[in-house]
Amino acid sequence: MKTEVFRCSLFIFILLGTFLLNSCYSVRLRSVEGTPEPAFPMVRDDYYRTMQVVELDTVITIGALDKDFTYLIKRSDLCPSGKLHTVEYRNTLGAVLLSGITFGRKRKVKIKYVCMKSN
Amino acid sequence: MARTTKLSLDEWDTLHNNGPWDLKFLYKTKLEASSLMPSNLDRYNDAAREIQKLLKEAKNKNDGFRAYGSAWSLSHIAHQKDRMHFNAHMNEYFSFKDQDLHHLSGYDADDIFMFQCGNVIKEISEKLAGHGKSLKSSGASNGQTIAGCISTGVHGSGIKVGSVQDYVVGLNLIVGPNPGDIVYLERHSKPVLNDVFVQKIRSRVIRNDGLFNAALVGLGSFGFIYGVVIESQNLFLLKRYVKSIKKELALELAESLDFENFTEIPEEVVGGKGREPYHYKVFINQYQKDDTDYVVELMYKKDFKLNYPDPFPVIKKSIYRDLIQVAVSLGAQFTGLIPKFVNALESTILPKVDEVSIGTLAETFWDAPYQGPAFAISFGVPQNLSGKTLEILSEIARKKRTPGIFAMRFIKKSEATLSFARFDKTCMIEIDGVLWNEKKNLGSLNGLSREMMVALHKNSIPFTIHWGKNADWAFVGDDWQASSLADYMYGEDAKKWREYRSSLLAPDMQKLFSNRFLKECGLDRSESVQNPADLVASLV
Repeated sequence: MKTEVFRCSLFIFILLGTFLLNSCYSVRLRSVEGTPEPAFPMVRDDYYRTMQVVELDTVITIGALDKDFTYLIKRSDLCPSGKLHTVEYRNTLGAVLLSGITFGRKRKVKIKYVCMKSN
Repeated sequence: MARTTKLSLDEWDTLHNNGPWDLKFLYKTKLEASSLMPSNLDRYNDAAREIQKLLKEAKNKNDGFRAYGSAWSLSHIAHQKDRMHFNAHMNEYFSFKDQDLHHLSGYDADDIFMFQCGNVIKEISEKLAGHGKSLKSSGASNGQTIAGCISTGVHGSGIKVGSVQDYVVGLNLIVGPNPGDIVYLERHSKPVLNDVFVQKIRSRVIRNDGLFNAALVGLGSFGFIYGVVIESQNLFLLKRYVKSIKKELALELAESLDFENFTEIPEEVVGGKGREPYHYKVFINQYQKDDTDYVVELMYKKDFKLNYPDPFPVIKKSIYRDLIQVAVSLGAQFTGLIPKFVNALESTILPKVDEVSIGTLAETFWDAPYQGPAFAISFGVPQNLSGKTLEILSEIARKKRTPGIFAMRFIKKSEATLSFARFDKTCMIEIDGVLWNEKKNLGSLNGLSREMMVALHKNSIPFTIHWGKNADWAFVGDDWQASSLADYMYGEDAKKWREYRSSLLAPDMQKLFSNRFLKECGLDRSESVQNPADLVASLV
């Protein structure tokens, strides 16, 4: 009996683990054209080491009458050209749950983006 | 006005984490907005004034000053302990018309462009493509700045084309903080731009072959490289093939660079004879000693046309695969397993056999993603000694269980005084890999390079070392009859380089533009020249 409970718990644990792992993922879009805005100074040790990356981690609220939401990329010190070179979108279980329990009104936005180098 | 940001830092590192090394201040200068200063010539001259201001500041504090671009060099050539300047945001460019050329110029104005120092290879290619033009060659990827490329001698494997500096025809250098300290250098035997244009960039023209060739590979120490004039060519396509061929044949081709009898690619055989490729590269896994075949990469030049097959599905996977990836770094923790790791990963590290793609130079040598701490030791040797050199260096790497693999590329002789492509045809034989923990049983990276240098010397193989790659630059054998590594590798040319540098730069500027790397190489010292003004006089 104890063995069956253990097997059952293990199965549920693995299933839950797989579900949690698969619910977190990133998708990266990168233009084959253009040069990314260079990092100054170069401090990261990941894919974006050479690039000036902007990270956005926020929750947006969608109005009841709004169909969608547009986040505007504007010129800034980190993005002098205001044009996109790379965008990475990350989805997490927390983001899915938040959207689910708020019926889509609250949406977690976790993105990284790099702008084109300005001329 | 151009704007400079100044950061107080403790240290600075290269892209490939070969440091960190001490630093006091890091600068970045951005050009004035085009909405406020519409003329690109004005923005160019305005930023030059800003750089002179920074030089003055450094000089007054008795500090050193060094410009750098993308920090791609793995050696400490770009590093200066006092003040460093990040160039990438100074990226203007100029095209020319016939009336801008010197009356003795043999160049076609449509091919001539001037790029400000911070333009990276990729943006240069895009700017040139807008004019239907292309660079003649590049390195294995595209992220280096033009000034960084020529300072360190970046090369591809263009058998007949040469390195990046070999299509540079003019140099705009800032050699000090005073009026008159901006110079424009050309060869007197091949003048390019006329004095009217040179005056527009507030420069003093010096047309002098010797000076130009010395400054061309200037190691960041011949003044601040501010603008680079290049000769481009019409856009072209490169058809790239990856083949597995008999080891003996791969080495025979490497030593002869004669492809007439190479008929394994039917498409590149004309009249029963193999065409000469634009690029030839051989990959060697030294841990597969009994390999009967080597993987080789060949590229053939084709006329440009639109609507060629999309090269990116292939290029995306094959770029910079000679750099071993993260998995090998796990192997580096268990040194005995390194050969097994390298062998197991061979198919991942090397390009896929029978892969074919076609694209422009810029597409073929596309973006290289950052892949973690890396090392590379790269020797230039006469191409007819490439087989023997490979044997010697492979044996050392096997013995030391070095986490990397070898590749051989080939370049035309350069006219630059300190170009490592100094042999009639130079074979660049390089081991690339993952930086290891020197506390493990692998020994030090400097130790590996020393052992390799000693072995080449013992076997009477003349060599050079890529300025931007790893080596013990302070080493010179006791019995080598040379005062420094640079003197050993370049002989009289090292002295000649110092003479031109000492004649062009004032003593305080020689010190300002010096660094530890230059000192270790034995290139920082002044040479006494009888008539320095004559040596650097304009000859046309």
